[in-house]
Amino acid sequence: MAEMMNEEEFRVALEDAMKGREAKDASFSMAWATGKLERKHFARWAENHYHYVGPFADYLAYIYANTPDHATDAKDFLLQNMWEEEIGDVRHTDLLIRFAEACGTTEEAIVDPGNITAVTRGLQSWCYAIAMREHFAVATAALVVGLESQVPSIYRKQLPPLIDPDVYGFTEDETEFFDLHITSDEIHGERGYQIVLKYADTPELQQRCIEVTRDGADMRFAYTKALYDTYVAPDLGAWDPALVPA
Amino acid sequence: MPVIRFLTSGKEIEFPEGEEVNILRISLRHDLGLPWSCASGLCGTDRITIVEGAENLSGVRRRERDRLGELLDDNVRLACQTYASGDLAIAWDPDQKGIDEDSRAGKRLKTVWMEGSKHGDQSADDGSDKAERA
Ligand code: FES
Repeated sequence: MAEMMNEEEFRVALEDAMKGREAKDASFSMAWATGKLERKHFARWAENHYHYVGPFADYLAYIYANTPDHATDAKDFLLQNMWEEEIGDVRHTDLLIRFAEACGTTEEAIVDPGNITAVTRGLQSWCYAIAMREHFAVATAALVVGLESQVPSIYRKQLPPLIDPDVYGFTEDETEFFDLHITSDEIHGERGYQIVLKYADTPELQQRCIEVTRDGADMRFAYTKALYDTYVAPDLGAWDPALVPA
Repeated sequence: MPVIRFLTSGKEIEFPEGEEVNILRISLRHDLGLPWSCASGLCGTDRITIVEGAENLSGVRRRERDRLGELLDDNVRLACQTYASGDLAIAWDPDQKGIDEDSRAGKRLKTVWMEGSKHGDQSADDGSDKAERA
Protein backbone atom coordinates (compact mmCIF):
# COMPACT_ATOMS: atom_id res chain seq x y z
CA MET A 1 0.00 0.00 0.00
CA ALA A 2 1.26 3.49 -0.86
CA GLU A 3 2.66 5.58 2.01
CA MET A 4 1.85 9.21 2.67
CA MET A 5 4.52 11.42 1.05
CA ASN A 6 5.70 14.69 2.52
CA GLU A 7 5.03 17.83 0.46
CA GLU A 8 8.43 17.91 -1.21
CA GLU A 9 8.28 14.23 -2.20
CA PHE A 10 4.72 14.67 -3.45
CA ARG A 11 5.64 17.73 -5.55
CA VAL A 12 8.51 15.80 -7.16
CA ALA A 13 6.18 12.86 -7.86
CA LEU A 14 3.70 15.20 -9.58
CA GLU A 15 6.50 16.78 -11.65
CA ASP A 16 7.82 13.32 -12.56
CA ALA A 17 4.35 12.25 -13.67
CA MET A 18 4.55 14.77 -16.55
CA LYS A 19 8.09 13.95 -17.65
CA GLY A 20 8.43 12.44 -21.11
CA ARG A 21 4.90 13.42 -22.09
CA GLU A 22 5.04 17.23 -22.05
CA ALA A 23 3.15 18.94 -24.86
CA LYS A 24 6.09 21.23 -25.66
CA ASP A 25 7.80 18.12 -27.07
CA ALA A 26 4.88 17.02 -29.27
CA SER A 27 5.29 17.23 -33.05
CA PHE A 28 2.99 20.25 -33.55
CA SER A 29 4.81 22.22 -30.82
CA MET A 30 8.23 21.38 -32.25
CA ALA A 31 7.19 22.29 -35.78
CA TRP A 32 5.78 25.58 -34.40
CA ALA A 33 8.88 26.48 -32.42
CA THR A 34 11.22 25.71 -35.32
CA GLY A 35 9.40 27.88 -37.85
CA LYS A 36 7.95 25.06 -39.99
CA LEU A 37 4.25 26.03 -39.83
CA GLU A 38 2.12 28.33 -41.98
CA ARG A 39 -0.68 30.65 -40.87
CA LYS A 40 -3.29 28.15 -42.03
CA HIS A 41 -1.89 25.62 -39.54
CA PHE A 42 -2.16 28.16 -36.70
CA ALA A 43 -5.74 28.81 -37.78
CA ARG A 44 -6.56 25.12 -37.34
CA TRP A 45 -4.78 25.13 -33.96
CA ALA A 46 -6.88 28.10 -32.83
CA GLU A 47 -10.13 26.48 -33.98
CA ASN A 48 -9.29 23.46 -31.86
CA HIS A 49 -7.77 25.30 -28.92
CA TYR A 50 -10.91 27.38 -28.47
CA HIS A 51 -12.89 24.24 -27.65
CA TYR A 52 -10.35 23.07 -25.10
CA VAL A 53 -9.71 26.36 -23.26
CA GLY A 54 -13.01 28.13 -23.99
CA PRO A 55 -14.86 26.15 -21.28
CA PHE A 56 -11.97 26.42 -18.75
CA ALA A 57 -14.01 28.57 -16.39
CA ASP A 58 -16.82 26.03 -16.70
CA TYR A 59 -14.50 23.19 -15.70
CA LEU A 60 -13.28 25.26 -12.76
CA ALA A 61 -16.83 26.07 -11.74
CA TYR A 62 -17.59 22.38 -11.36
CA ILE A 63 -14.51 21.98 -9.18
CA TYR A 64 -15.57 25.05 -7.19
CA ALA A 65 -18.97 23.51 -6.52
CA ASN A 66 -17.28 20.31 -5.29
CA THR A 67 -14.93 22.18 -2.95
CA PRO A 68 -16.07 22.27 0.69
CA ASP A 69 -16.62 25.59 2.44
CA HIS A 70 -13.69 25.10 4.82
CA ALA A 71 -11.20 25.03 1.91
CA THR A 72 -11.52 28.79 1.47
CA ASP A 73 -8.08 29.23 -0.10
CA ALA A 74 -8.87 26.60 -2.74
CA LYS A 75 -12.25 28.19 -3.50
CA ASP A 76 -10.66 31.64 -3.78
CA PHE A 77 -8.00 30.32 -6.12
CA LEU A 78 -10.60 28.75 -8.39
CA LEU A 79 -12.76 31.85 -8.37
CA GLN A 80 -9.85 34.13 -9.18
CA ASN A 81 -8.79 31.82 -12.00
CA MET A 82 -12.33 31.93 -13.43
CA TRP A 83 -12.46 35.71 -13.07
CA GLU A 84 -9.20 36.10 -14.96
CA GLU A 85 -10.37 33.83 -17.78
CA GLU A 86 -13.57 35.74 -18.30
CA ILE A 87 -13.78 39.30 -16.96
CA GLY A 88 -10.49 40.27 -15.27
CA ASP A 89 -9.42 42.09 -18.43
CA VAL A 90 -9.93 41.15 -22.05
CA ARG A 91 -11.72 37.81 -22.13
CA HIS A 92 -9.06 35.20 -22.84
CA THR A 93 -11.04 33.58 -25.65
CA ASP A 94 -11.32 37.01 -27.32
CA LEU A 95 -7.52 37.15 -27.38
CA LEU A 96 -7.48 33.69 -28.95
CA ILE A 97 -10.01 34.82 -31.58
CA ARG A 98 -7.87 37.91 -32.28
CA PHE A 99 -4.89 35.65 -33.03
CA ALA A 100 -7.03 33.26 -35.06
CA GLU A 101 -8.39 36.05 -37.24
CA ALA A 102 -4.82 37.19 -37.92
CA CYS A 103 -4.22 33.65 -39.17
CA GLY A 104 -7.02 33.96 -41.69
CA THR A 105 -9.91 32.15 -40.03
CA THR A 106 -13.15 33.64 -38.72
CA GLU A 107 -14.94 33.81 -35.38
CA GLU A 108 -17.74 31.75 -36.91
CA ALA A 109 -15.32 28.96 -37.82
CA ILE A 110 -13.65 29.10 -34.43
CA VAL A 111 -16.79 28.68 -32.36
CA ASP A 112 -18.08 25.88 -34.61
CA PRO A 113 -17.51 22.60 -32.74
CA GLY A 114 -17.62 20.79 -36.06
CA ASN A 115 -14.14 22.09 -36.86
CA ILE A 116 -12.20 20.11 -34.26
CA THR A 117 -10.49 16.75 -34.18
CA ALA A 118 -11.88 13.80 -32.28
CA VAL A 119 -8.91 14.06 -29.92
CA THR A 120 -9.78 17.68 -29.07
CA ARG A 121 -13.34 16.57 -28.39
CA GLY A 122 -11.93 13.86 -26.12
CA LEU A 123 -9.74 16.34 -24.24
CA GLN A 124 -12.69 18.66 -23.62
CA SER A 125 -14.85 15.76 -22.45
CA TRP A 126 -12.10 14.48 -20.14
CA CYS A 127 -11.80 17.94 -18.57
CA TYR A 128 -15.55 18.07 -17.91
CA ALA A 129 -15.62 14.52 -16.52
CA ILE A 130 -12.69 15.06 -14.16
CA ALA A 131 -14.03 18.41 -12.97
CA MET A 132 -17.48 17.02 -12.25
CA ARG A 133 -16.62 13.65 -10.79
CA GLU A 134 -13.34 13.79 -8.90
CA HIS A 135 -12.35 15.12 -5.47
CA PHE A 136 -11.46 18.82 -5.80
CA ALA A 137 -7.75 18.24 -5.09
CA VAL A 138 -7.64 15.50 -7.73
CA ALA A 139 -9.44 17.66 -10.29
CA THR A 140 -7.05 20.53 -9.53
CA ALA A 141 -4.10 18.18 -10.06
CA ALA A 142 -5.50 17.12 -13.44
CA LEU A 143 -6.53 20.48 -14.84
CA VAL A 144 -4.16 22.93 -13.20
CA VAL A 145 -1.00 20.87 -12.60
CA GLY A 146 -1.32 18.37 -15.47
CA LEU A 147 -2.62 20.84 -18.08
CA GLU A 148 -2.38 24.52 -17.12
CA SER A 149 1.03 24.43 -15.44
CA GLN A 150 2.60 23.29 -18.74
CA VAL A 151 1.56 26.47 -20.52
CA PRO A 152 4.56 28.71 -19.68
CA SER A 153 7.05 26.10 -20.93
CA ILE A 154 5.07 25.68 -24.17
CA TYR A 155 4.45 29.35 -24.96
CA ARG A 156 7.91 30.55 -23.97
CA LYS A 157 9.19 28.43 -26.87
CA GLN A 158 6.38 29.37 -29.23
CA LEU A 159 6.02 33.13 -28.75
CA PRO A 160 9.51 34.25 -29.93
CA PRO A 161 9.13 32.78 -33.44
CA LEU A 162 5.58 34.12 -33.67
CA ILE A 163 6.74 37.73 -33.27
CA ASP A 164 10.04 37.32 -35.10
CA PRO A 165 9.59 39.18 -38.42
CA ASP A 166 11.90 36.68 -40.09
CA VAL A 167 9.86 33.68 -38.92
CA TYR A 168 6.08 34.14 -38.56
CA GLY A 169 5.92 37.93 -38.22
CA PHE A 170 2.82 38.45 -36.06
CA THR A 171 2.39 41.68 -34.09
CA GLU A 172 2.50 42.06 -30.31
CA ASP A 173 -1.20 42.79 -30.34
CA GLU A 174 -2.08 39.67 -32.31
CA THR A 175 -0.09 37.47 -29.94
CA GLU A 176 -1.24 38.87 -26.58
CA PHE A 177 -2.97 35.55 -25.83
CA PHE A 178 0.44 33.87 -25.53
CA ASP A 179 2.24 36.64 -23.68
CA LEU A 180 -0.53 36.79 -21.08
CA HIS A 181 -0.50 33.06 -20.41
CA ILE A 182 3.27 32.75 -20.10
CA THR A 183 3.14 34.72 -16.87
CA SER A 184 -0.36 34.17 -15.47
CA ASP A 185 -0.11 30.39 -15.75
CA GLU A 186 3.17 30.43 -13.82
CA ILE A 187 1.20 31.67 -10.84
CA HIS A 188 -1.86 29.50 -11.51
CA GLY A 189 0.44 26.49 -11.74
CA GLU A 190 2.17 27.31 -8.46
CA ARG A 191 -1.10 27.98 -6.62
CA GLY A 192 -2.47 24.76 -8.11
CA TYR A 193 0.46 22.79 -6.73
CA GLN A 194 -0.09 24.35 -3.31
CA ILE A 195 -3.78 23.41 -3.26
CA VAL A 196 -3.00 19.84 -4.29
CA LEU A 197 -0.14 19.47 -1.79
CA LYS A 198 -2.37 20.71 1.03
CA TYR A 199 -5.66 18.96 0.33
CA ALA A 200 -4.56 15.59 -1.07
CA ASP A 201 -4.23 14.45 2.53
CA THR A 202 -4.37 10.68 2.27
CA PRO A 203 -2.04 8.26 0.42
CA GLU A 204 -4.95 7.29 -1.83
CA LEU A 205 -5.68 10.89 -2.80
CA GLN A 206 -2.00 11.54 -3.45
CA GLN A 207 -1.80 8.51 -5.74
CA ARG A 208 -4.95 9.55 -7.58
CA CYS A 209 -3.50 13.04 -8.07
CA ILE A 210 -0.35 11.56 -9.58
CA GLU A 211 -2.42 9.35 -11.91
CA VAL A 212 -4.58 12.18 -13.21
CA THR A 213 -1.60 14.51 -13.58
CA ARG A 214 0.00 11.87 -15.81
CA ASP A 215 -3.32 11.38 -17.65
CA GLY A 216 -3.66 15.15 -18.14
CA ALA A 217 -0.18 15.39 -19.59
CA ASP A 218 -0.96 12.42 -21.86
CA MET A 219 -4.20 14.06 -22.99
CA ARG A 220 -2.49 17.35 -23.82
CA PHE A 221 0.32 15.53 -25.65
CA ALA A 222 -2.18 13.48 -27.68
CA TYR A 223 -4.21 16.61 -28.50
CA THR A 224 -1.10 18.44 -29.71
CA LYS A 225 0.21 15.49 -31.72
CA ALA A 226 -3.20 15.03 -33.37
CA LEU A 227 -3.05 18.61 -34.63
CA TYR A 228 0.15 17.80 -36.49
CA ASP A 229 -1.12 14.48 -37.83
CA THR A 230 -4.40 16.00 -39.02
CA TYR A 231 -3.42 19.39 -40.39
CA VAL A 232 0.34 19.51 -40.93
CA ALA A 233 1.38 16.01 -42.00
CA PRO A 234 -0.49 16.31 -45.33
CA ASP A 235 1.80 19.27 -46.15
CA LEU A 236 5.09 18.37 -44.45
CA GLY A 237 4.87 14.59 -44.06
CA ALA A 238 5.34 12.63 -40.85
CA TRP A 239 7.21 14.57 -38.17
CA ASP A 240 10.94 13.99 -38.19
CA PRO A 241 12.59 14.91 -34.85
CA ALA A 242 15.90 15.21 -36.72
CA LEU A 243 14.57 18.51 -38.15
CA VAL A 244 14.92 20.10 -34.71
CA PRO A 245 18.32 21.80 -34.31
CA ALA A 246 20.31 20.30 -31.41
CA MET B 1 23.95 28.87 -7.87
CA PRO B 2 22.32 32.29 -8.47
CA VAL B 3 20.65 33.91 -5.46
CA ILE B 4 17.63 36.22 -5.25
CA ARG B 5 17.67 38.38 -2.13
CA PHE B 6 14.27 39.58 -0.94
CA LEU B 7 15.60 42.52 1.07
CA THR B 8 12.30 43.71 2.56
CA SER B 9 11.46 40.32 4.09
CA GLY B 10 15.11 39.51 4.83
CA LYS B 11 14.91 36.20 2.96
CA GLU B 12 16.85 34.75 0.06
CA ILE B 13 16.59 31.82 -2.26
CA GLU B 14 18.97 29.99 -4.57
CA PHE B 15 17.92 28.50 -7.88
CA PRO B 16 19.71 26.20 -10.33
CA GLU B 17 22.24 27.73 -12.73
CA GLY B 18 20.87 28.01 -16.25
CA GLU B 19 17.23 28.31 -15.18
CA GLU B 20 14.97 31.33 -15.50
CA VAL B 21 12.55 31.76 -12.61
CA ASN B 22 9.45 33.90 -12.35
CA ILE B 23 9.98 36.19 -9.36
CA LEU B 24 6.43 36.10 -8.02
CA ARG B 25 6.23 32.34 -8.44
CA ILE B 26 9.41 31.73 -6.48
CA SER B 27 8.15 34.07 -3.76
CA LEU B 28 4.85 32.19 -3.52
CA ARG B 29 6.50 28.80 -3.56
CA HIS B 30 8.95 29.60 -0.77
CA ASP B 31 6.81 32.08 1.17
CA LEU B 32 9.23 34.97 0.65
CA GLY B 33 6.72 37.72 1.32
CA LEU B 34 5.99 39.64 -1.89
CA PRO B 35 2.51 41.19 -1.93
CA TRP B 36 0.43 40.34 -5.02
CA SER B 37 -3.11 40.22 -6.27
CA CYS B 38 -3.96 39.59 -9.92
CA ALA B 39 -0.84 37.72 -11.16
CA SER B 40 -1.61 39.11 -14.62
CA GLY B 41 0.24 42.42 -14.82
CA LEU B 42 -2.90 44.44 -14.16
CA CYS B 43 -3.00 45.63 -10.55
CA GLY B 44 0.62 46.60 -9.81
CA THR B 45 0.45 45.21 -6.25
CA ASP B 46 3.64 43.21 -6.78
CA ARG B 47 5.89 46.06 -7.96
CA ILE B 48 9.49 45.65 -6.89
CA THR B 49 12.48 47.94 -6.97
CA ILE B 50 15.55 46.32 -8.47
CA VAL B 51 18.42 47.09 -6.10
CA GLU B 52 21.01 44.88 -7.82
CA GLY B 53 21.07 42.57 -10.83
CA ALA B 54 18.88 44.37 -13.38
CA GLU B 55 21.06 42.83 -16.07
CA ASN B 56 19.85 39.37 -15.01
CA LEU B 57 16.18 40.09 -15.72
CA SER B 58 13.97 39.30 -18.68
CA GLY B 59 12.96 42.19 -20.96
CA VAL B 60 10.13 44.53 -20.00
CA ARG B 61 6.79 43.02 -20.99
CA ARG B 62 3.90 44.88 -22.54
CA ARG B 63 1.77 44.85 -19.38
CA GLU B 64 4.62 46.32 -17.36
CA ARG B 65 4.92 49.15 -19.86
CA ASP B 66 1.17 49.77 -19.62
CA ARG B 67 0.98 49.52 -15.84
CA LEU B 68 4.25 51.08 -14.70
CA GLY B 69 4.93 53.75 -17.31
CA GLU B 70 7.63 56.09 -16.01
CA LEU B 71 8.20 53.96 -12.91
CA LEU B 72 10.23 51.68 -15.19
CA ASP B 73 12.88 54.43 -15.30
CA ASP B 74 13.18 54.15 -11.49
CA ASN B 75 14.10 50.44 -11.72
CA VAL B 76 10.59 49.32 -10.80
CA ARG B 77 9.28 46.05 -12.29
CA LEU B 78 6.29 43.78 -11.74
CA ALA B 79 7.29 40.51 -10.08
CA CYS B 80 4.59 38.50 -11.83
CA GLN B 81 5.85 39.62 -15.26
CA THR B 82 9.58 39.26 -14.66
CA TYR B 83 11.99 36.33 -14.87
CA ALA B 84 15.44 36.21 -13.26
CA SER B 85 18.36 34.24 -14.67
CA GLY B 86 21.09 35.35 -12.24
CA ASP B 87 21.83 37.10 -8.94
CA LEU B 88 19.28 39.69 -7.91
CA ALA B 89 18.34 41.90 -4.95
CA ILE B 90 14.84 43.41 -4.70
CA ALA B 91 12.89 45.56 -2.25
CA TRP B 92 9.29 46.75 -1.93
CA ASP B 93 6.92 48.58 0.37
CA PRO B 94 5.38 45.84 2.54
CA ASP B 95 2.09 47.77 2.74
CA GLN B 96 1.76 48.53 -0.95
CA LYS B 97 -1.57 48.06 -2.71
CA GLY B 98 -2.48 48.09 -6.38
CA ILE B 99 -1.32 51.18 -8.24
CA ASP B 100 -4.78 52.65 -8.64
CA GLU B 101 -8.29 51.65 -9.34
CA ASP B 102 -8.10 53.07 -12.86
CA SER B 103 -6.14 50.07 -14.05
CA ARG B 104 -7.70 48.16 -16.93
CA ALA B 105 -8.90 45.59 -14.37
CA GLY B 106 -10.48 48.33 -12.26
CA LYS B 107 -12.22 49.84 -15.25
CA ARG B 108 -13.43 46.48 -16.41
CA LEU B 109 -14.83 45.59 -13.00
CA LYS B 110 -16.46 48.97 -12.71
CA THR B 111 -18.14 48.46 -16.07
CA VAL B 112 -19.41 45.06 -15.02
CA TRP B 113 -20.86 46.36 -11.77
CA MET B 114 -22.28 49.52 -13.31
CA GLU B 115 -23.94 47.54 -16.09
CA GLY B 116 -25.40 45.33 -13.38
CA SER B 117 -26.76 48.42 -11.64
CA LYS B 118 -28.59 49.47 -14.80
CA HIS B 119 -30.58 46.27 -14.54
CA GLY B 120 -31.95 47.43 -11.23
CA ASP B 121 -30.12 45.10 -8.87
CA GLN B 122 -28.02 47.79 -7.20
CA SER B 123 -27.62 51.56 -7.20
CA ALA B 124 -24.91 53.26 -9.26
CA ASP B 125 -23.21 54.36 -6.03
CA ASP B 126 -23.16 50.83 -4.73
CA GLY B 127 -21.57 49.80 -8.02
CA SER B 128 -18.66 52.23 -7.60
CA ASP B 129 -18.07 51.15 -4.04
CA LYS B 130 -17.90 47.53 -5.06
CA ALA B 131 -15.49 48.33 -7.85
CA GLU B 132 -13.26 50.12 -5.35
CA ARG B 133 -13.32 47.24 -2.92
CA ALA B 134 -12.71 44.62 -5.60
S1 FES C 1 0.14 40.77 -9.13
FE1 FES C 1 -1.09 42.25 -10.15
S2 FES C 1 0.38 43.12 -11.51
FE2 FES C 1 1.51 41.46 -10.69
